[in-house]
Amino acid sequence: MTATLTQPAAYHIIIIIIKSIQLNTLHILCFVLSILFVSTVYFMSKPPSVVYLVDYSCYKPPASFRVPFSTFMEHKSLAFKDNPKGVKFMKMILERSGLGEETCVPHQTHYIPPNPNMEAARDEAQLLIFSAIDNLFATTALKPKDIDILILNCGMFSPIPSLSAMVVNKYKLRSNIKSFNLSGMGCSAGIIAVDLARDLLQALPNSNAVVVTTEILSHDYYKGKERAMLLPFCLFRMGAAALFLSNKPSYRSRAKYKLVHVVRTHKGSNDKAYGCIHQQEDVEGHVGVNLSKDLMAIAGESLKTNITTIGPLVLPASEKLLFLLTHIGRKFYNPKWKPYVPDFKLAFEHFCIHAGGRAVIDEVQKSLRLSSEHVEASRMTLHRFGNTSSSSLWYELSYIESKGRMKKGDRVWQIAFGSGFKCNSAVWKCNRNIEIPSNSPWEDCIDRYPVHIPEVVKL
Amino acid sequence: MLKYLSPQNCLSKGKKMVSSKIQNSIYNISISTVVPGLMSGHDAVQELSAMDLAMKLHYLRIVYYFKTPTFDGFTILKIKETMFNWLNHTYITCGRFRRADSGRPFIKCNDSGVRVIEAKCRLSLDEWLETKDDSKHELLVSNQVLGPDLAYSPLILVQLTDFKCGGKSVGVSWAHVLGDAFSAVGFINLWAQAMIHSYPAQPLTMAQQHNWACDLQNPKPNPYPLSVKRVDPVGDLWSTTSNFKMETASFYVSTTELTRLQAQICGKKVDQKVPEFECICAVIWQCLAKVRNGSGPKAVTICRNDVKTRDKGIITNESQTIGLVKTDISAQDYKPFELVSLIMNKAEDERMKIKEAMDRDNELPDFLIYGANLTFVDLSDAPFYEMEVRGQKPVYVNCYIDNVGEEGVVLVLPSPKGCSDGRMVSVTLPENQMAEFKSVLNEDWAIA
Repeated sequence: MTATLTQPAAYHIIIIIIKSIQLNTLHILCFVLSILFVSTVYFMSKPPSVVYLVDYSCYKPPASFRVPFSTFMEHKSLAFKDNPKGVKFMKMILERSGLGEETCVPHQTHYIPPNPNMEAARDEAQLLIFSAIDNLFATTALKPKDIDILILNCGMFSPIPSLSAMVVNKYKLRSNIKSFNLSGMGCSAGIIAVDLARDLLQALPNSNAVVVTTEILSHDYYKGKERAMLLPFCLFRMGAAALFLSNKPSYRSRAKYKLVHVVRTHKGSNDKAYGCIHQQEDVEGHVGVNLSKDLMAIAGESLKTNITTIGPLVLPASEKLLFLLTHIGRKFYNPKWKPYVPDFKLAFEHFCIHAGGRAVIDEVQKSLRLSSEHVEASRMTLHRFGNTSSSSLWYELSYIESKGRMKKGDRVWQIAFGSGFKCNSAVWKCNRNIEIPSNSPWEDCIDRYPVHIPEVVKL
Repeated sequence: MLKYLSPQNCLSKGKKMVSSKIQNSIYNISISTVVPGLMSGHDAVQELSAMDLAMKLHYLRIVYYFKTPTFDGFTILKIKETMFNWLNHTYITCGRFRRADSGRPFIKCNDSGVRVIEAKCRLSLDEWLETKDDSKHELLVSNQVLGPDLAYSPLILVQLTDFKCGGKSVGVSWAHVLGDAFSAVGFINLWAQAMIHSYPAQPLTMAQQHNWACDLQNPKPNPYPLSVKRVDPVGDLWSTTSNFKMETASFYVSTTELTRLQAQICGKKVDQKVPEFECICAVIWQCLAKVRNGSGPKAVTICRNDVKTRDKGIITNESQTIGLVKTDISAQDYKPFELVSLIMNKAEDERMKIKEAMDRDNELPDFLIYGANLTFVDLSDAPFYEMEVRGQKPVYVNCYIDNVGEEGVVLVLPSPKGCSDGRMVSVTLPENQMAEFKSVLNEDWAIA
């Protein structure tokens, strides 16, 4: 008997098979969909690339650009002959500034009066930026052709072509380089540049980024009488830093630091904060940067906001709990309870506070209840190099390394303030034990530090 | 930029004005400061001796002329770099004056630095040097004085002037309170050394101070020595006003001319030899006596290098003798040989008297030394031409003392080719005597 099924039996079997195939299809479909879903979830939530700071380099101005206190005051009194009150004010600022006798200003600023102009600014930019980058290439063996991302920040001088284009031109960087030039963003722009580099390194796998942070002084000079506008140029000094960041796994063991967090706080929505560092013309038409009297209070507020965001990311559980309990208690139980200031010393071994001025460091030290050792790097940087704007954080980090205090696993908190008003933080973790660097700007003077900085230096 | 040269402390009101054509050839003036590269002075206090304070109203103005290509390729930044290195070793000169509670000035070594003036000249170096106007050199060196704001007055000013042809002049203004001409030239030569990275083992220092305990016992203090003229208190502006405009003229006296002068002076005394300096002094003294028609000068001051007390690496006012020669009758009535004899043998060193006069009371009087009498300063041995830049000596060095008394000052300087080639003589006199003096010099002694 041929095993030909009778038509009706075959049909039934087929139906059954089809039904089972349909069931299988559904299963398979479900199975495939679940695979797809899990894969999507997996790839979407793939941990971001680790951003390494392979190394960095700070520009060391030659001693020939030095401006001792006495010379500074002499120049001011000669250049501002018709404004003795202003000169007296600047003397008072300098006496209490926390600056030392070795800070440097660019060549043009040594003239009486200074002669700010574009050519001098370009010369200064080339000197600072190229020196820092050359040094970076020498220490890291990075080649210009391997740079995928270039970010440069310089607040006050923004020529055409841009300073980042100047770097591309000098080092013959690739034509498909992703270059950015940040200007007008103030002293906290260095961290903004690092944040941008991080975002780009998340988007571009296997890439190198160079961040250059500086401020150029030869282009601007305030000639007027407003005291609030005379202040910035009393404290600004020459400085620049170049950083080499990468997400390449090959740098895992070589890199000095890993970038852990960047927290940016912008208080610009508040009018007072927005206007507290304001470039403008005075009544006589001279352009300068006006600092409002509310500056320290606004800085304090922005720091509080920044801490509120960064706290939960870095604090140990015990501190978070205490903070939460106090917060709840204040809200629901007794508003008179003092707000709990978490102990950030438990979260970080090292602190780099932007050396904007003595008052800034004092304020942050007080707010975070830091010891004098914690703010030593900031104070000594202010003393030796002055306020170098956005690059000051890197001189401070270099100080800590030069003192041999940086160990593997140490956590560093860099805090910068700037016009806007902004408070930006970067958190780094030391990736390996770091020997005392041989090319640091502190090389010839680290043994003299720390120094005692008197409250007032009598000039 | 010229206004920063502080018109109120310029001496132009006391000096003959340069012709406007020459004045207009200097342009593009900018002023900056160069400080020691390293912290050097550490705010140390440098006390001043009585002799230093006696000299405080005088200023040395020295102009070095260099032909091209000495400074070719030497940008202003490179030049300043050599200066930073130089000044690391001379921190005293970079300080500024302060006054102690007693009113006595001292130098605070606060690294304030030296003032640097950059300028350009429309003429070539040769055209400039050929210009007949002797006062042209004054445009190439600062005429600033110390004060009225002593705390902000630099002790040293250096003017670098670029000529059309590429030549360069270096004009150094040196406050005499720091030291005499030998000290100044020694200081400047350190810069030449610094340019070839050769530095002294020790920084430049001032001579050791002697005790300035004054003789309070003496009820009748001695009158001021004749080599000194006391002026009205100058306060914090260390200059004086003069009734006369002073003019400086320079002329070259060749070896041949010197030999002839010596012969003229010695006359029949063939076995006598008259040194060059004394020879020049006698000649000029007689000429001026003639010009001043018997009204003097009856005393002259002779300043010479006191080789015995001069040490290397020291700036000082203690190592220059200040000899006074008195006559009872007008110099006109002496034979030249007798004048030479007086100068050689009868010059009384008045340094002790000057120091005693300065320290005698707490008043700290203000003195003029150069020009209080007709003053002759022997700088023939001063190493002006050792200021070598890249192996090149200056083609000419002009030197004069600024802010001097009305009796006049004569500097005897080495010639560019060395002392065997004669002397340069720089004469500073009241303007109204210069023309006649030149004419007498020419007529009586055949010196042009």
